[in-house]
Amino acid sequence: MEPGKEKGTATPREQNQSPRPNLKPVTMNKNLRKKKKKDLEELKKEVDMDDHKLTLDELSAKYSVDLTRGHSLKDAQEILFINGPNSLTPPPSIPNWVKFCKQMFGGFSLLLWTGAFLCFLAYSINLRYNEKADKDNLYLGIVLSAVVLITGCFSYYQESKSSKIMESFKNMVPQQALVIRDGERMQINVKDVVLGDLVEVKGGDQVPADIRVISAQGCKVDNSSLTGESEPQSRCPDCTHENPLETRNIIFFSTNCVEGTARGIVISTGDNTVMGRIASLTSGLTMGQTPIAVEIEHFIHLITAVAVFLGVTFFFLSLILGYGWLDAVIFLIGIIVANVPEGLLATVTVCLTLTAKRMARKNCLVKNLEAVETLGSTSTICSDKTGTLTQNRMTVAHLWFDKTVYEADTSEEQTTGKTFPKSSDTWFYLARIAGLCNRADFKPHQESVPVAKRATTGDASESALLKFIEQSYNSVNEMREKNPKVAEIPFNSTNKYQMSIHLLEDNPQAHMLMMKGAPEKILDFCTSFMLNGQEFPMDEEMKVDFQNAYLELGGMGERVLGFCYLNLPSNFSKGFQFNTDELNFPMESLCFVGLISMIDPPRTAVPDAVGKCRNAGIKVIMVTGDHPITAKAIAKSVGIISEANETAEEMAARLNIPVSQLNTKSIKAIVVHGSELKDMDSNQLDHILKTYKEIVFARTSPQQKLIIVEGCQRLGAIVAVTGDGVNDSPALKKADIGIAMGITGSDVSKQAADMILLDDNFASIVTGVEEGRLIFDNLKKSIAYTLTSNIPEITPFLMFIILSIPLPLGTITILCIDLGTDMVPAISLAYESPESDIMKRLPRNPKTDNLVNHRLIGMAYGQIGMIQALAGFFTYFVILAENGFKPLDLLGIRLYWDDARLNDLEDSYGQQWTYEQRKVMEFTCQTSFFISIVIVQWADLIICKTRRNSLFKQGMKINWWFCAIPYSALIFIYDEGRKLIIRRRPGGWLEKETYY
Amino acid sequence: MRRQLRSRRAPAFPYGYRYRLDDQDEVNQNYLADEEEEAEEEAQVMTVPGLEEEEEEEEGKEEEEEREEEGQGQPTGNAWRRKLQIVTEYLWDPEKRMSLARTGLILVIYFFFYASLAAVITLFLYMLFLTISPYMPTFTEQVKPPGVMIRPFAHSLNFNFNVSEPETWQHYVISLNGFLQGYNDSLQEEMNVDCPPGQYFIQDGDEDEDKKACQFKRSFLKNCSGLEDPTFGYSTGQPCILLKMNRIVGFRPELGDPVKVSCKVQKGDENDIRSINYYPESASFDLRYYPYYGKLTHVNYTSPLVAMHFTDVVKNQAVPVQCQLKGKGIINDVINDRFVGRIVFTLNIET
Repeated sequence: MEPGKEKGTATPREQNQSPRPNLKPVTMNKNLRKKKKKDLEELKKEVDMDDHKLTLDELSAKYSVDLTRGHSLKDAQEILFINGPNSLTPPPSIPNWVKFCKQMFGGFSLLLWTGAFLCFLAYSINLRYNEKADKDNLYLGIVLSAVVLITGCFSYYQESKSSKIMESFKNMVPQQALVIRDGERMQINVKDVVLGDLVEVKGGDQVPADIRVISAQGCKVDNSSLTGESEPQSRCPDCTHENPLETRNIIFFSTNCVEGTARGIVISTGDNTVMGRIASLTSGLTMGQTPIAVEIEHFIHLITAVAVFLGVTFFFLSLILGYGWLDAVIFLIGIIVANVPEGLLATVTVCLTLTAKRMARKNCLVKNLEAVETLGSTSTICSDKTGTLTQNRMTVAHLWFDKTVYEADTSEEQTTGKTFPKSSDTWFYLARIAGLCNRADFKPHQESVPVAKRATTGDASESALLKFIEQSYNSVNEMREKNPKVAEIPFNSTNKYQMSIHLLEDNPQAHMLMMKGAPEKILDFCTSFMLNGQEFPMDEEMKVDFQNAYLELGGMGERVLGFCYLNLPSNFSKGFQFNTDELNFPMESLCFVGLISMIDPPRTAVPDAVGKCRNAGIKVIMVTGDHPITAKAIAKSVGIISEANETAEEMAARLNIPVSQLNTKSIKAIVVHGSELKDMDSNQLDHILKTYKEIVFARTSPQQKLIIVEGCQRLGAIVAVTGDGVNDSPALKKADIGIAMGITGSDVSKQAADMILLDDNFASIVTGVEEGRLIFDNLKKSIAYTLTSNIPEITPFLMFIILSIPLPLGTITILCIDLGTDMVPAISLAYESPESDIMKRLPRNPKTDNLVNHRLIGMAYGQIGMIQALAGFFTYFVILAENGFKPLDLLGIRLYWDDARLNDLEDSYGQQWTYEQRKVMEFTCQTSFFISIVIVQWADLIICKTRRNSLFKQGMKINWWFCAIPYSALIFIYDEGRKLIIRRRPGGWLEKETYY
Repeated sequence: MRRQLRSRRAPAFPYGYRYRLDDQDEVNQNYLADEEEEAEEEAQVMTVPGLEEEEEEEEGKEEEEEREEEGQGQPTGNAWRRKLQIVTEYLWDPEKRMSLARTGLILVIYFFFYASLAAVITLFLYMLFLTISPYMPTFTEQVKPPGVMIRPFAHSLNFNFNVSEPETWQHYVISLNGFLQGYNDSLQEEMNVDCPPGQYFIQDGDEDEDKKACQFKRSFLKNCSGLEDPTFGYSTGQPCILLKMNRIVGFRPELGDPVKVSCKVQKGDENDIRSINYYPESASFDLRYYPYYGKLTHVNYTSPLVAMHFTDVVKNQAVPVQCQLKGKGIINDVINDRFVGRIVFTLNIET
């Protein structure tokens, strides 16, 4: 676009008072990085465009394009140069090594690295000042580094599998586009499509950009990836709605054109398109820390605080006790390092992995390891409606005939057994009309599939009718063969009915005219109605009944269709040529038969699951792009709005007073429309989220979903979001845990989510919550167990400093405990079963219910750990005393004991010991101290199995342990006997055969 | 207690209620309004009055804290200040005017807990002392076979001295003199008995009976006794070194064959030493000094010594000397321990 032209086009834009960001992409691209955060805020706002309101002339002026000839090639080149290609820009990707470093130096790893560094420091100090340095610190440092490296690599591997969001978006983008430039149609690369291009789209194409339609022939587009609504929508050049997302004259980038053709002007490209905004929003969002990461950080703070406190205390203590500076510093380092639970990181990782596997077996595939626990902490679930709560399949829900409403069976497996009087003649007519006046058909070769699950051609309502008739009446195909169709008028949005004329099987000469359509339209055609198979003239009573039934069914959020018929007079008998254009046959005074209403019914397991969430204190919010009435109806049927509660509008209607006079305190349920949400600021949203227990958001845009999630998070809730469409992906990404649908979910949503429900069933979330809560509890047990042994590990060193006794436990033995004997038992605690009904308590409060709190530390360190330390020291004193060093004589012996030149140290009995003899003694003591810890850890392991229940009740079946004990005894007795005989009879037969 | 309260109250609350703003960056403008509402909400709830009050008070306080911080409005560092505040409040609660008020009970509990732990370990140690004999160690395997040590010993096994400079060897002489005070003939004669040589001095009888000790007189060491030559030969470049075997309760050298001492050059020319005089001349530890009965009953026991008089060592060069015990039941080649049954030292005598 030449500068002059650009200025010229500015004028109409100003007239329209719409600063359409025509050149904005240029500036955005330039300052992309600087403005990233600001842009995100920008992206969160609603799509703001007015191109759909412009007349064609204004449009032409705005984009300075000829609406028949398109851009000139030169213009197109220039615009392309200015605005950049029509493609999605990937976010500045973090290099792999940065990600790797994040795993290496984040959270727990940092603690271990610090420990390792201190070890090396202590070793080098030792090396510098003592000729013969103790290598323990070196080993410890190496092991610590190895632990961090291994677990870091493991986490990196886990992490690297996800985060392919942008790639998945790119897969949605078409490759080729048909544009008209210089009056010529040409196939070009989608990247080269520019603003103002004249584009043609036909059935089967993917739309190459956001396009304002200027002409269309029967064009229908599938906007499901944007709005979540699976039904194709027709497109025409007229502006039908204020909201650009709902108006009929705009088709969006990357959606599918299902049928027909359309021609239009490109109004935005690449990242500026609605889809592009969602893509950049999704990939640009930074996720907060997972709750478990927060907990682990909190835990690290606690542990570090304890370690530093102990270290510094003993640093000064050792100075007061008269140690040198150097010694004191080495002690300080030693104490800090001894406090680091080396094995814990690995334990936690393994526990989470195990749970992730268990959840995968229950159809919850966890992509991000830390997300395993998140579901357990969840306090709010924002659920999409279509496909998650509902079956995503239109199904007949109610019928109205003979002035009665009958309920149809909507469950997935047809198990409720609801029925209605099929013997009524009215039903016979109704079924015939529904089956015959119907263009849907089953796809072939599906005889073995249950009717409800068969694939069909045709739109959702017709398919629903087809299946319903097939199930509850007769084979539709057979019926159609016997009653061949002679003529039909297909459904369209202006006449809102569908008519077909059939030959009748019971009277092959006569024709019957059948009609279905919008109930009010149908009623207008009718002059009589059918009651129990008899025709009666239409009267006021009937009309009132009809209105009531229509309102009742419509009020349940159901799509209602009316059915009527007319037996054509005999002059239209077989052979008559019907002309549907000129209507050479009567089409009035029809006989009204009944109404059938359809809905996308909730999944069978959902109400139960929602109830369980309720019991578990989890607030379930419905966020849907669907209409408020439908949304409310589904919300009520699955229990998101419970039966006892009603919205303000309902209560006002019941009490017959205006909404403003209601006492809002007593209202717990609300349905919020997307357009209301648009005008709210964050405080108002917070207010709604806080005040109401049962909330349904309807008609929401992708950005609003995100805003709702952020609102919940702002109130401190841990939010789970379920969704399947591309429109859900920003919310999925932002949520503490995003849950995508495995079967119906789009690729983008799966990439943005942390967890995938393989069976698309909301009920699986409940399983996930249960597992998440369980692993949280079990991690507590695991950590309590692991931390306990820290005290017997560190007190020897402290006593070594204070009492100057020989070192009771060496560094290597500490490592043996932390990375050896403690690891597997700690992991085994991840398998503990829940102690109480964990689904009956409230979600944990992330502020107060921490994974590791002072009570856990108090129990592990202050109580059980102390007993363990006592056990170790007792063993230590026993061994030394039995070998000659009585406890009291040990106090203060350290300097002599560790003096390598002193080879005649006297013990309590006057015996004299060489240095090496003493060291052998010391190592014996360390070994036994180690074994003591292992043995007391057995008890600790067993007590850690439960936190509240008695071990005898829940923990284990102790009596089963005793079954094997006699056999152990048998082994002892048998082998002692064998050895006795071998000793008695040297060279005997037994020795030859069994002595090894 | 807290948990119970919460669950009892919870149904009356919208779930989001209990959560507080964490992110200090985003100041919640209508916080005050929320609080009022919450107060009203709470008023409607029926609970046990006493407990409820306590809880509310606590909550109110927390909120006050937060509000204060919002007033300061500094986004960074608030988290730390808040933590600090919690800690200080924990230590001194100004409203209740109590120190460590919340933890008072737990401190008492911990006091009793640790007191009973102390009682338990005391009891166990007492039981330990009941099971081990004060006279005989339960096990002596670890201290066998006996180690060897020499005198004079001054933190080093390298004997470097210059004959003509007395200050380089004076401390050896002082050390030896001090060591041999306990072996003075008069003292030995007064305290100990002269028992028959060549056989064990076995004293049967009760374990707790005081045992007699055999005399080992300083004069047995002849030229190395320091009686004739008060410088133990150091002034003439012929140093005396005393060797003793570590005491082990109940240790008996193999019968009839006393443990002998023999020294030679460890590495290098065999002739660097040339001649050694041993005192007593047998160069052995007589059997009568065994067994040792432990220091509680065998009070005056004096370890037997063998003195090595290096009369003609090569001067002005370091001579590594290894002295080994020899005898049945003596091990002198343990690789890890260079002081079991042997000792290595170097003589570097300058003239």
